[in-house]
Amino acid sequence: MTRTELPSSVLIAGCGIVGAATAFFLARRGVDVTIIDREGPAAAATGAADGAVSVASKRPGPMMVAALSGVALYRQLLAEGVLADLFTPRSTFIIAASDEECTVLEAHGAALSGEGVTVETLGRTALAQRFPALSPSARMGAEVKGDGHAIGYRIVNRLLSTSGVTVRRGVAAKHLIEAANGRIAGIATDKGEFRADAVVIAAGNGAASLLRLDGVMKPRKGQLLVTERAPALNASMPGSIMSGRYLLSKGSQKGGPASGRGYGLVVDPLVTGQFLIGGTREDSDARQTNDFDAVKHILADAVALVPGLADVRLLRAFAGVRTAVVDSLPLVGRWPVHDNLFVAAGFEGDGICLGPVMGQAIAALVCGEQPTLDLSPFTPSRFSACEVAA
Amino acid sequence: MAEVIIIGGGPAGLSAAGTLAKAGIASTLLEQRATLGGAIHRQPVGSAKPVSVSTAARHRFERLMQGIATPLVRLRVSTTFLGIDGDGCMLTESRTDGTVAALKADAVILATGAVEKIRPVPGWDLPGVSTAGGLQVMLKETSTPPKGRILLAGNGPLLIALAAQMIRAGNPPLMIVEAGNPLAHPVAAFGLLAHTTLLREATGYTLDVLRSGIPWKRGACLTGITARDDALEATILHADGRTEIVAADRIALHDGIRENDIGLPAARNNGKPIILKAGDCRQALGVFAAVADGERAGSEAASLLRGNKAALTRFERRIDRQVAAQRLLAHIFAPALPLPPLSALPDDCTLCRCEGRTVGDLKALLTVKDGLSGREVKHNGRFAMGSCQGRFCAANTAALMAALRPDVPAPTLRDLTGQRWPVRPVSIAALIGAASNETTNDHEVRS
Ligand SMILES: Cc1cc2nc3c(=O)[nH]c(=O)nc-3n(C[C@H](O)[C@H](O)[C@H](O)COP(=O)(O)OP(=O)(O)OC[C@H]3O[C@@H](n4cnc5c(N)ncnc54)[C@H](O)[C@@H]3O)c2cc1C
Ligand SMILES: Cc1cc2nc3c(=O)[nH]c(=O)nc-3n(C[C@H](O)[C@H](O)[C@H](O)COP(=O)(O)OP(=O)(O)OC[C@H]3O[C@@H](n4cnc5c(N)ncnc54)[C@H](O)[C@@H]3O)c2cc1C
Repeated sequence: MTRTELPSSVLIAGCGIVGAATAFFLARRGVDVTIIDREGPAAAATGAADGAVSVASKRPGPMMVAALSGVALYRQLLAEGVLADLFTPRSTFIIAASDEECTVLEAHGAALSGEGVTVETLGRTALAQRFPALSPSARMGAEVKGDGHAIGYRIVNRLLSTSGVTVRRGVAAKHLIEAANGRIAGIATDKGEFRADAVVIAAGNGAASLLRLDGVMKPRKGQLLVTERAPALNASMPGSIMSGRYLLSKGSQKGGPASGRGYGLVVDPLVTGQFLIGGTREDSDARQTNDFDAVKHILADAVALVPGLADVRLLRAFAGVRTAVVDSLPLVGRWPVHDNLFVAAGFEGDGICLGPVMGQAIAALVCGEQPTLDLSPFTPSRFSACEVAA
Repeated sequence: MAEVIIIGGGPAGLSAAGTLAKAGIASTLLEQRATLGGAIHRQPVGSAKPVSVSTAARHRFERLMQGIATPLVRLRVSTTFLGIDGDGCMLTESRTDGTVAALKADAVILATGAVEKIRPVPGWDLPGVSTAGGLQVMLKETSTPPKGRILLAGNGPLLIALAAQMIRAGNPPLMIVEAGNPLAHPVAAFGLLAHTTLLREATGYTLDVLRSGIPWKRGACLTGITARDDALEATILHADGRTEIVAADRIALHDGIRENDIGLPAARNNGKPIILKAGDCRQALGVFAAVADGERAGSEAASLLRGNKAALTRFERRIDRQVAAQRLLAHIFAPALPLPPLSALPDDCTLCRCEGRTVGDLKALLTVKDGLSGREVKHNGRFAMGSCQGRFCAANTAALMAALRPDVPAPTLRDLTGQRWPVRPVSIAALIGAASNETTNDHEVRS
């Protein structure tokens, strides 16, 4: 592959973590990149997410492989200084409090170990010693080492400011412009036409209508809570907590996610001394609102596992909308019918972890190279809806 | 059986409750403080004596209290409104026992009053510096002014109103530093003749201040505060260009008021609940407009609940008159000297007190070539992210962003603050202990 085969310009629709990372890696290769976003950077899921950069919750298989590369890339970017101060390495503790959760945890711990992840299983006493903030109801824990945390909107800001990529805020993509030769000439927006040599759709929940993907993706809301600072409690926690039930709600086990609210507890001690507490998975509701019943439920679960949280104040609640794909795998790759059209969307609850590595892979693909990460499990061509001209 | 909840026991909330009662509709009025009255008529707590007020003011408050002296109005003081969630459920917190309750209502009238504007100066965040409003609450609830040498500084008619109240209460301020020069606008002041009561109250305050002999520095501004030993030192820039250092024990700042749009839900005249705003929280127009606007909101809520058309023009006419009066006052109190621009503030001057963010932090964030939105500034700079929900810093951050980037459209306050739920930080233990969705009361609508 020679430099002359680089696209002269690339247009990216969507400035979430995936769009921003794609732009960052393209700019590193010297490609001229423009991002359009109907609102602005990190306006959707990326700006309303927890930030587990984690293999702990992944199901063995392609998502686990991708997550392992995702975490490795965060570490590399941290070492290079690009993500200085923004990626916090820490363990994830999966906690089981019931028979059912213990069973799930044992199976999951074994699966993680099988993939080469360092997992330490902790019985009740060992767990109480390692994690004194936990309530005695915690029966068993698995410390998944090597994970970390990153705040999505801050990663986006850093990727954009280091690469100097131009973001056109408040520009909504309406539809693709087809060229006579079957290629895509650009995107028609509410602010006129944007033309480029190659086009990447990284528009999260906006991707479905741009690519006319009926029934392939659906919004999945999540409610999250932030507390005030509680430095002592925060410092006493050696990592984040994920309840055994989270694995069930996320569908990390076979059988897919639970229906209804899909409560699954995550408690993340932030570097500010605050806590991020989540969350829900709600397929029925794409509004970015919070409701008292869900908030109360989440907090009750959190206090049951970490009693000290009862004395902390809730500072705010927010909700984000994930983009879920019907087969639980994201859509990443070249579009079947148009050579210069690429898609990277549908990351459900994993896009903060996977955003950089998927952006890197798409950037390679756009530049005519084979990405190091195997994208074949994520190919859009697995859906017949993607075979039609977008 | 319609449930109406009114938030705020100031003139607007009281008049809304009274108006609903007159229409035969029951309501529950929630007030966060221990007493009713709002910013202007706040009543003393316990056995403290009320501060003396003008006859007109006393009568106005008596009329408002008569309006709610009916079983149709249920009062809950020391109860803080925490917001309305996505399902329309309202949360409140008791300030006496800390419990949280979830309520359902058919209509909610927000009458939470204005937010005070504060022009940031180096040292505005030092202990001992407060807003004029904060000082006034203390004065009215305890009926004794805070002790020591108190300096009032800023802009607008409320500074001399507060000064007059402090004089009556026995501790006149050390000095009033006023950016405007209200005595230099006799022609405009003449226009106030059309607003008799307002003019009478304003004249009363002005005469009190002039008679007391307190230094009333007009066309002057405070440019910085430093802490020295146990006291504060304020640097005052006088009209003649001279600067003076004034030592004080307390400094109260005030640069006018504006509507309170921080974190509150948006108004809507359909859905459950209907959400209406009344008084200074909708538009900061002073007490006369607040009373009329409370009546307007009460009538509108009654009509919406009964499905008939509201006749609101007469209220709107009264409110328009107050818009005109406020415009005159703004003209009379227009700063007489060029106030130092926000962009001239030193980099270490605090903008956001909760998160400890400075002018320099904001400048550093804005060095990227494209224009960060308000939301990005909040996210990446932590401005307006703290416990006060942006009440103090959001407006100044937005104004400084506009000043630093004249070519980029200025952010709105809402870009920075978003819609916050809960409106205030709340105890997790209390939230978990809250009973879900209780209804407020057993009143019936008599129609
Ligand atoms: C509550 C919650 C918790 C989460 N926790 C985690 C976690 O712990 N770890 C993890 O890895 N992931 C987590 N996620 C998932 C993660 O946030 C997402 O997978 C990720 O942010 C997706 O990034 P994206 O760039 O694909 O999409 P988005 O962030 O949704 O960005 C899409 C962008 O495209 C723009 N756009 C849409 N349509 C158009 C259009 N027509 N024209 C122009 N622009 C358009 C939008 O404005 C938006 O800015 C969580 C998500 C939620 C909601
Ligand atoms: C410092 C200051 C001094 C003033 N001095 C004068 C003066 O001397 N003369 C004059 O004419 N006008 C004065 N005004 C203006 C006048 O007070 C207002 O125009 C008038 O009081 C507005 O009435 P309101 O009902 O809209 O709001 P307010 O009188 O402010 O009443 C709002 C009420 O809502 C309550 N509240 C707020 N948030 C919540 C919550 N979350 N939960 C429960 N309750 C809540 C507050 O405690 C308050 O009692 C002053 C205003 C201020 C801020």
